[in-house]
Amino acid sequence: RPRSESPFCPPGPGGVIVPRAGLKKYVLPPDYSGITFPERTKLKFMDKVPAVPKVRREPRRLRDIRGPSREATDFTQGQYGILALGGGYLHWGHFEMIRLTIGRSMDPKTMFAIWRVPAPSKPVTRKSLGHRMGGGKGPIDHYVTAVKSGRLVVEVGGHCEFEEVKPFLTQVARKLPFPAIPISRDGLEQMRQEEEEKRLNNQNPWTFERIVTANMLGMRKYLSPYDLQLKGRYWGKFFLKHRL
Amino acid sequence: WLPALQLVRHGSKAVTRHWKAMHFQRQKLMAVTEYLAPRPAIPPRCLVPRKEKVEEDNGYARLLRRQVEEVFRDNRMIAVCQYNSMPGEDMVLMRHYLRKHNIEVKFVLNEIIRPMLSQSKYKNLLPLFVARNILLVSPETKVKEMLRVLKGVPQINLLGACIDNTILSRQGVENFAKLPSLEAAQGQTVGALALLPSQTSSLLQGGSAHLTALLDEHIRQLQAGEMGSPDESAPAQSLGAH
Repeated sequence: RPRSESPFCPPGPGGVIVPRAGLKKYVLPPDYSGITFPERTKLKFMDKVPAVPKVRREPRRLRDIRGPSREATDFTQGQYGILALGGGYLHWGHFEMIRLTIGRSMDPKTMFAIWRVPAPSKPVTRKSLGHRMGGGKGPIDHYVTAVKSGRLVVEVGGHCEFEEVKPFLTQVARKLPFPAIPISRDGLEQMRQEEEEKRLNNQNPWTFERIVTANMLGMRKYLSPYDLQLKGRYWGKFFLKHRL
Repeated sequence: WLPALQLVRHGSKAVTRHWKAMHFQRQKLMAVTEYLAPRPAIPPRCLVPRKEKVEEDNGYARLLRRQVEEVFRDNRMIAVCQYNSMPGEDMVLMRHYLRKHNIEVKFVLNEIIRPMLSQSKYKNLLPLFVARNILLVSPETKVKEMLRVLKGVPQINLLGACIDNTILSRQGVENFAKLPSLEAAQGQTVGALALLPSQTSSLLQGGSAHLTALLDEHIRQLQAGEMGSPDESAPAQSLGAH
């Protein structure tokens, strides 16, 4: 097993370096002891329409896209997942894409995947094409699930490494309607730690939170009451990662 | 709490699919409250880089080191040869021939043996362990047979040897092979030592032996010359001389 030049044999006359074989350092294989597989390793099929379709048309309620997510922010069973970095709606097409791509790329014997978002339940109405405004609310067109930033969409786990899972998770993440990244448990922890460190070692004495809570310069005239909780990191459905 | 002035008169809602244009005041606020990274007084590249940590050796390296120490301790003859890659069958044959003369072929890793040698008394063997090499070790010193086997294998070249704690170069090994075996050398020494006393005895007896030989010759000449007259006085004289 020739390796590159070692400190023992400096280049000889003419700059020729004699390759030498070195001692192989054996790395222990990764330990998958604490991993429990669910009953079905593949992703469940999600219905287009819930079992009891809704009759009453619901208001739009875009606040289910705005701001940080309160549920499904941490890993439960799996080790890797797709983290949403923005808000959006996932409809049946997205679900099928995720299910098929992950089902195609993973090995059901050694890996498993689970949903962290519920099936579409929020009805979205569409008016038929070509009609003028007015005439009431349109009929229900399809159902969607709302996803806020910081939520996990799917979780993947099993006897596998992040590097094996990353390619198809990035492929899926690119196709989602909101920005998303594949992430592992360590990666998430590291992200949070970095955020915390940034918050602590910020050299700027003026932070959005401080100005808004104290209403300095009457800034609250131009801001929303929700900015007290959103603290300048969220704007609409977008999550501003570089802020703070 | 509701804002005093309803800024949303017409236009989009709070959450839009597109990036909603921010009020200028809000833009200014966002610009003011950006993150400022800390700048250390001394930039990190001016500081001395940390020395690389020496990796602790694993059990495998320790085992190999122990084996090498054993080899050096147990065997009288250790020959270091350059090893070029050779076909498997030839290797097996060579090992077989050497095994018949109780010579073992050992592969050692340079990175293990070099620190060991530099600390032991075999410092002068260090320059030999540079490229790919093997060790031929044996508790007896059968250099002639080893050289004969190695002559038949062109891919292995003898670099040097350490026989009975004596470091020999290639020339030295060949000279060592030409030396007679131990028994022959012992016999030679005994013969050389016994040469002097044998010479002494012959020296001491030399004078009288010479005289006896001369007188015998004289008698023969007289007998041959005076055949007719039996002279009893001459043989009596010769008998009396003894």
